[in-house]
Amino acid sequence: MRRGALLALLAFGAFVAFSFLADPVASAKASKKSRKGKAKSAAVANFDTKLPVLGTRLSEFPAGPGKALADQACLNCHSADMVWQQHLTEKQWTANVTKMIGWGAEIPDAQKDALVAYLVANFGPENTKFAPVVSRPVGR
Amino acid sequence: MQDPASTDSRGGWSRRAFLAAAGATLLPAAAFAAVRKRASAPADPIGRDKRRMLQLNGYAIDAETPLDALTTYITPNDLFFVRHHWNPMYPSPRTWRLAVDGEVSSPLALTIADLRRLPKTTVTCVLQCAGNGRAFHKPTVPGVQWRYGAVGNARWTGVRVADILQRAGLKASARHLHTFGSDRPPGKVPAFNRSLEMEKALADAVVAYEMNGQTLPPLHGAPARLVVPGWAGDHWMKWLVRLSPQPEEQKGFYMDTAYRYPDKPGEPGVALQPSEMHPVTELFVKSNVTEAPASAKVGRIETIRGFAFSGAPDIARVEVTDNGGATWKEAWLDPQHDAWAWRLWSFRWTPPAAGKATLMARATDSRGTVQPKDAVWNQSGYLYNGWHSVGIEVTA
Repeated sequence: MRRGALLALLAFGAFVAFSFLADPVASAKASKKSRKGKAKSAAVANFDTKLPVLGTRLSEFPAGPGKALADQACLNCHSADMVWQQHLTEKQWTANVTKMIGWGAEIPDAQKDALVAYLVANFGPENTKFAPVVSRPVGR
Repeated sequence: MQDPASTDSRGGWSRRAFLAAAGATLLPAAAFAAVRKRASAPADPIGRDKRRMLQLNGYAIDAETPLDALTTYITPNDLFFVRHHWNPMYPSPRTWRLAVDGEVSSPLALTIADLRRLPKTTVTCVLQCAGNGRAFHKPTVPGVQWRYGAVGNARWTGVRVADILQRAGLKASARHLHTFGSDRPPGKVPAFNRSLEMEKALADAVVAYEMNGQTLPPLHGAPARLVVPGWAGDHWMKWLVRLSPQPEEQKGFYMDTAYRYPDKPGEPGVALQPSEMHPVTELFVKSNVTEAPASAKVGRIETIRGFAFSGAPDIARVEVTDNGGATWKEAWLDPQHDAWAWRLWSFRWTPPAAGKATLMARATDSRGTVQPKDAVWNQSGYLYNGWHSVGIEVTA
């Protein structure tokens, strides 16, 4: 009886082992799955997933008279970040606003001085408010 | 010369690791273990906490690499700095063609498959944005305020421009290679059309479709971009769609006004006319410190590391001073090198006295040009290459 049970167990074991070996598709699938799982967990562990994806954190222009003007004039082409990182004199801001109007920035002539004043007040030579956004590696 | 043994942890195959692996092949089990270990090791030895980017602009995306992630000979694709002039229009790889016209006898329209059938070449070299370090120019200048990390070193695989133009039947009348990308500017912004001298294009330039062994990523100019070893990034046209050899230089804002550098250094803060400047071409000799301790103890050796590169094909020497440039000591140069690639370097420093120490590095290239203490101020803030200094608090 005992010997019979042992034989049956051995036979069952052999069957299981054989069926696994004989089914290359199933075993390939299983190993592919485990490889995929590994690759995925490696990618997750590669950097701090709490970091934002590049290009998803955008700064806003500071509140105050001139914010609406700046929104209208600048944001069609670039985020406000580009402006936050500048620290320019009135002369430099005037030159840049003139250049940007030439390039299609939507700002009525009558409001150009108001925009320059807003930019100088917030992003003048003493501006040190900008800090880059620490983001995830860029991926594809 | 400094002891190279301390560079083991920075990846690649160090001498010690190579000897260990060579010895291990005598023992199959050990060899298996070594292979397994290598296979399971991360693709680069940059730690998880260092794998991040510094986003300067949300759109169009501009992002630089933190210096402490620029510690490997090859900069991984996902940590390579990104620069856009405006939101790009990615070409479809299926419909993409590289047009070759102008001073050629038989114009071409190459598919990516055509390109891959042409003789393949790989160059390993530095790509640096012309404006890297703009934030350090004083008085301050407008533009993306790059600090240290708009630079990286990568393997670029593709086809030599010379091989492409030869197939198109390049005419002797061609003097400048005009290059065009697929991206289109918004509003009335001028197009980013460029040209470079035919001599440089034929000698060294490559149309690359792979970056570090992977298909070129869209953010880096897929399906193909220009690679101009030793020259600043403004020549490395992304999303390349047209090469047109011409007798004259390209015209337009990005040739005639932007990307120009003073013929003679002017007074800082005083803008020059475009006629007093010439196009930015070769990179300037430069070194940066990527690893240094914040604090140290008198007499206890610390290892300082960094990279150095130039528009000349190699770096001859990197030196470090801890006394404001009065005396310099030579750093150890890593043997890994390709023409116009960067050199990693390390320096074993013994803190001489308690207090705040300032270490500065300077590189000398293979033409003998020495990195200057101060960069030449220019109104657009190009090619900053002043000495990089780090502060270290030394205690007794």
